[in-house]
Amino acid sequence: MNCQNARDTFAELLDRRTTGTEVAPVGGHIAAHAEARAHLANCPDCQREFAAFRATLDALDTLPIPAPSPALRENFFTMLAAEKRPAAVELTRSDHPGNRSAAPTLGVRIWRWAWPALAGCALGVLGFVLGRTSHPLVAPAGPSTPDALAMQQQITQLQQQVAKMGTLVSYSLLQQQQRPANDRLRLVLTSAMLEHPGDKVINDLISSLAFDPSPNVRLSALDALYPHAEQEVVRASVVASLGREQNPLVQMSMIDFLAAANDVEAKPALEKISASANADDNVRNAARRALTQF
Amino acid sequence: MLAVRDGELDALGALFERHHRPLFGFLVKFTGDRTAAEDIVQTVFQRMLKYRHTYRTDGSFTAWMYHLARHGAADHFRRANTAPYPTDPADLHEHPDDRPHAAQSATTHDDHALLHAALARLERKDREVLLLSRFQELSFAEIAAILECSVGAAKVRAHRAMQQLRHVYVQLERRELT
Repeated sequence: MNCQNARDTFAELLDRRTTGTEVAPVGGHIAAHAEARAHLANCPDCQREFAAFRATLDALDTLPIPAPSPALRENFFTMLAAEKRPAAVELTRSDHPGNRSAAPTLGVRIWRWAWPALAGCALGVLGFVLGRTSHPLVAPAGPSTPDALAMQQQITQLQQQVAKMGTLVSYSLLQQQQRPANDRLRLVLTSAMLEHPGDKVINDLISSLAFDPSPNVRLSALDALYPHAEQEVVRASVVASLGREQNPLVQMSMIDFLAAANDVEAKPALEKISASANADDNVRNAARRALTQF
Repeated sequence: MLAVRDGELDALGALFERHHRPLFGFLVKFTGDRTAAEDIVQTVFQRMLKYRHTYRTDGSFTAWMYHLARHGAADHFRRANTAPYPTDPADLHEHPDDRPHAAQSATTHDDHALLHAALARLERKDREVLLLSRFQELSFAEIAAILECSVGAAKVRAHRAMQQLRHVYVQLERRELT
């Protein structure tokens, strides 16, 4: 055996699992190992290389084992506590009639049609409202005139829309400030533990699902929304987020959510995924399974 | 894990205590990103909890866990699309190593830095199998289950990765000396 052939066996010779009892060398391997050892016994150069190789692997074994931050344990046990909460809702067919024939609410319209341009629309509308209130185009005629009353009502409604959009936009901007993922996760998990979360908390969870850069946070937000799946705005937001989600794990979880909620409004999105050649195989299969449940 | 599957959710806490640190160590060396490694560990255990009803008795828990971790890491690389390792190996030493022999190790900080640099230069698939076989002390049967290959193929890949590491390490060492 020459030096190169002998050196090709060094990794096997130095791996205790191939020289120990776990995987006993058989046949040709026994012969190759024996020849390599015989060569080593008579070749000083290979002996030096073998020793250096051993030293490298020994050094590798002494590399420090990094420790995670305490937040990892804290977040895990917070998640476990949330999962053990008895208020976890089982979604059944009897609770969610298949025909969602009610007219979409204002919130549903916002999520289904406005969210891709959410920031731009909110800024534009905000500027419009501020402009109207500081420099009214029409001289205020007092609350008693019908035109003024109608105008005031329109402005109030518009301000309410902007307030909703503004909340979501500000949350989105907050995400851009690169707060640690652990902090964002903790907020989501805390929200999940509220027995009666208000609209703002639901909106925050929806925003986390749509905008958070961490798939872990998005998954936690989705889990936290499960008890509120009866709300049309929640289901609509999941459908909207599914369209832009890239993480296969989060995609499959969203599909599971929509299947459990029996939301027929999600069928077009699921059909698109099930037919997409670019989708992950597991995601495509999950979409097909979900469609069979409707 | 069988207990978790059958409803004893607290048992997952015991699994977490036993496995989260080695899993984190693997992921931080594999991805070079502490924050991503913590995120992936959290996601792995979250997935275990959410899909506990799918756990099969014929598989190894460890292999399943690392299988989930690989998918999380693959997603991280796909999204990040960055170099899969930090440029400063000192980033990996933020928290002290509390192993009893660490202080007595004769290996210098420079050797560790060279090794980190050598690991960073390995192809991702070589680094992955090297970490699984060398740091996680998994059997070749478990590694084969994780990598979805035969036991023989796992052995060949692990040994090739060791040789490649040695080759890169020597190149770096010589560059330092010249």
